[in-house]
Amino acid sequence: MCMLPFTYLRRWGRGLSGIALLGLAGCNLIEFSPNDHRVPEEFTNLTEKNLARLAARPLPVGDTLRFVFTGDSQQFYDEAEALVASVNQQPGISFLVVAGDISDFGLAREMQWVDEKLRRLKVPYVTVIGNHDLVGNGRPTYQHIFGAFNYSFVYGDTKFILLDTNGREYNFDGTAPDMAWLKPQLANHDGARRQVVISHVPPTNDDFDPALRMPYVQALREASNLVFEMNGHNHSASITQPYNDGVTYVNSDAFSERHYMVVTVWGNKQFRIKRVAF
Amino acid sequence: MKKLLLPALLLTGLRAAASTPPDTAGTAPVKPAPSAARRAQHPWYRPTHLALQTGGGLGMVAAGAGYEFSKTHLETDILIGYVPKHYAGSTLSLASLKFLYSPFHLPVGEKFQVVPLTVGAYFSYTHGTINDELKGQYSSDYYWFSTDTRYGPLLGSRVTFLAPPVAATGQPRKVSVYYELGSNDLYLASYLNNRNGGLGFGQLLTLALGIKADF
Repeated sequence: MCMLPFTYLRRWGRGLSGIALLGLAGCNLIEFSPNDHRVPEEFTNLTEKNLARLAARPLPVGDTLRFVFTGDSQQFYDEAEALVASVNQQPGISFLVVAGDISDFGLAREMQWVDEKLRRLKVPYVTVIGNHDLVGNGRPTYQHIFGAFNYSFVYGDTKFILLDTNGREYNFDGTAPDMAWLKPQLANHDGARRQVVISHVPPTNDDFDPALRMPYVQALREASNLVFEMNGHNHSASITQPYNDGVTYVNSDAFSERHYMVVTVWGNKQFRIKRVAF
Repeated sequence: MKKLLLPALLLTGLRAAASTPPDTAGTAPVKPAPSAARRAQHPWYRPTHLALQTGGGLGMVAAGAGYEFSKTHLETDILIGYVPKHYAGSTLSLASLKFLYSPFHLPVGEKFQVVPLTVGAYFSYTHGTINDELKGQYSSDYYWFSTDTRYGPLLGSRVTFLAPPVAATGQPRKVSVYYELGSNDLYLASYLNNRNGGLGFGQLLTLALGIKADF
């Protein structure tokens, strides 16, 4: 309600935009509750906005795809600055993925603070929801600031499928991961050659819905040209095949570990992962 | 219980206000014995003021009552706040308790008073969050923080308009407008965990604007 006049003000010219920003800051300052998710428009629908930025810089067909994989930015703002500085030095990167737990308390301000750091990346970034993002009123907050919990996109001949696997946050009610959503996603590559699944809680973890663990693992095993499945949550980097079924599970570092992964994929499902310290 | 608290507080206040006799300065020939009358007019449990505010993390609207201990410059407010679903994803009601200390009261003319510094702390409980812990959902130390209880520091100022006292009783009346800058335990924890300037202090602040009426 208090944004409207300032939107008009902003149109009046550059000189006034400072005043408009002050006004917006004032509006946010009057916080109704930490669970209040009002943020300036520029901090909303970030997934959609980042995907639009990504689509505007397509990868030439047949090229290998390179992206940065990290996770768990929660409360690590000092590290976020260092990470951005380091990633901005990496050549040939298309985008960065944060594998959930953007926030620590599921609060809008935290998500805004993380975006304030990551928007300084030279490349767009995408996120998947983590258990900490679902705490309190994190559900509508994440939805408002980032967007959908389950979504997919195609880039550089790869289909990326990102989904909510934070079963414990729903008290293991059988809704996360949403198998009815995932299965048709895996069955249709949307024209891409290979696919990658990214979620926060890995199926090997106690926070994954135990009733859905085997259906999830089986669906991945049966998926065609699945390069790997990627997770965060553990705050510890690993590349393993825990089910000995040919499916590789990659776990990210947290921002606090001061490492990230540079991931290169090509061919049907070839990949190379380099861990970089920052 | 919580739903009853606000009306109960307001009723106490209104009844108290209604029972205050109108100004009778011109017609009251005999002054009652001050202390006895004062006690009768103002039993210890009757709040000394009503408050209404927005922001500060305590509600889009928060209303309540409080006590002022004038000799010690201490005050305590009890507020019930409300946040509509539109802004938080679920309708929130908040019960808050504030403790305030205002060491200086500077008179400005006869009708105004400036309180340049109020320091204090608050504690709040939020009812109505979406992902409220269910029994057995998490192990006891799964999340180290509470999603419902918040506390934090406050710092503010106020301007007070001194209305003529109720002549019959000598009861002072005043109306104040105030602001309070504050923060909460979670924002402060985030700040303290980033000692290399990852967060600016200004990013932690919240603002409350309010009005208080003493009667």
